[in-house]
Amino acid sequence: MNTFKIIEIKESVFANNDRQASLLREELKKRKTFLLNLMSSPGSGKTTTVLKTIEALKDEMKIGVMEADIDSDVDASLVSKTGVKVIQLHTGGMCHLDAYMTKQGLDELEIEGLDLVILENVGNLVCPAEFDTGASKSVMILSVPEGDDKPLKYPLMFSVVDILLINKIDAMSIFDFNIEKVKERVKKINPNIKVIPISAKTGEGFDEWINWLREEVKSWKK
Amino acid sequence: MHELGVMIEVVNYVEDFAKKNGLTKIDTLVLQIGELSAIIPRYIEACYPAAIDGTMLENTKLKIEVLPANAICRECSKVFNVVQNNKICPRCGNEKWELLCGKEFLIKEIIAC
Repeated sequence: MNTFKIIEIKESVFANNDRQASLLREELKKRKTFLLNLMSSPGSGKTTTVLKTIEALKDEMKIGVMEADIDSDVDASLVSKTGVKVIQLHTGGMCHLDAYMTKQGLDELEIEGLDLVILENVGNLVCPAEFDTGASKSVMILSVPEGDDKPLKYPLMFSVVDILLINKIDAMSIFDFNIEKVKERVKKINPNIKVIPISAKTGEGFDEWINWLREEVKSWKK
Repeated sequence: MHELGVMIEVVNYVEDFAKKNGLTKIDTLVLQIGELSAIIPRYIEACYPAAIDGTMLENTKLKIEVLPANAICRECSKVFNVVQNNKICPRCGNEKWELLCGKEFLIKEIIAC
């Protein structure tokens, strides 16, 4: 009769995702497609920001969009009106995307010839920060109505992104939102973060955001 | 709630590991979960039966070891638990520290033959 014994595995489950993410990033680099991972709370203006970003860049580069949500295709149908390639990913209750799901989405989207793919992650400031998707760069949106205390409450999200877009600055006068306080709190967590205040409604601040994105897409191809 | 998706990954990995190592019967799976990881032990236990259903791990036992969120103070080098001490060094009051452990989510070992 066989006897049971203890067999050590010592495998990190997150390390597995990190490995898949690194492989995906290498593949994207080879294929010269820049993947932008966009994260935020629900209702921060992600889709409106995506639409305006597409408008600004669609004449100079080929863009694809992956919309990730628990359910529905309202975002994908809005984005498809701009004429860019778009697919809707349903996470089926999952609160985030991991590298494997991202890879599946990219395969379905068929990225051949695309310069920029925008991944609109599930609206959530918690779990998407834990899982590397394999994106070239990560961006988060914090909107003015959400409040300036969010970097204190969800520090991990603010620590993993390259850019923080502060959206809905056109509504600043109605809310008690201190932009300097946000900058101070965010820099404490992530000294390298770049903060750009924008309004996806009026277009304010978009020049700086679009310039950053254009340069990143360009340097990714080198 | 992402525990089920994560657990399915774990089960896949263990099945694969068992096949590669010629193991035919698994009795227990031991996981290590850090206090600061995004994984909640209670939810892992709750979704375990669903994650192992119809797999090689069906009818196995699950054991979870929780790893403490320990940090070392950058000023006085005291090692302390950041959760219990509200992220402040209990010896010198400093808020600058380096996390030593607590974010892990590991498949530690299996009891198998």
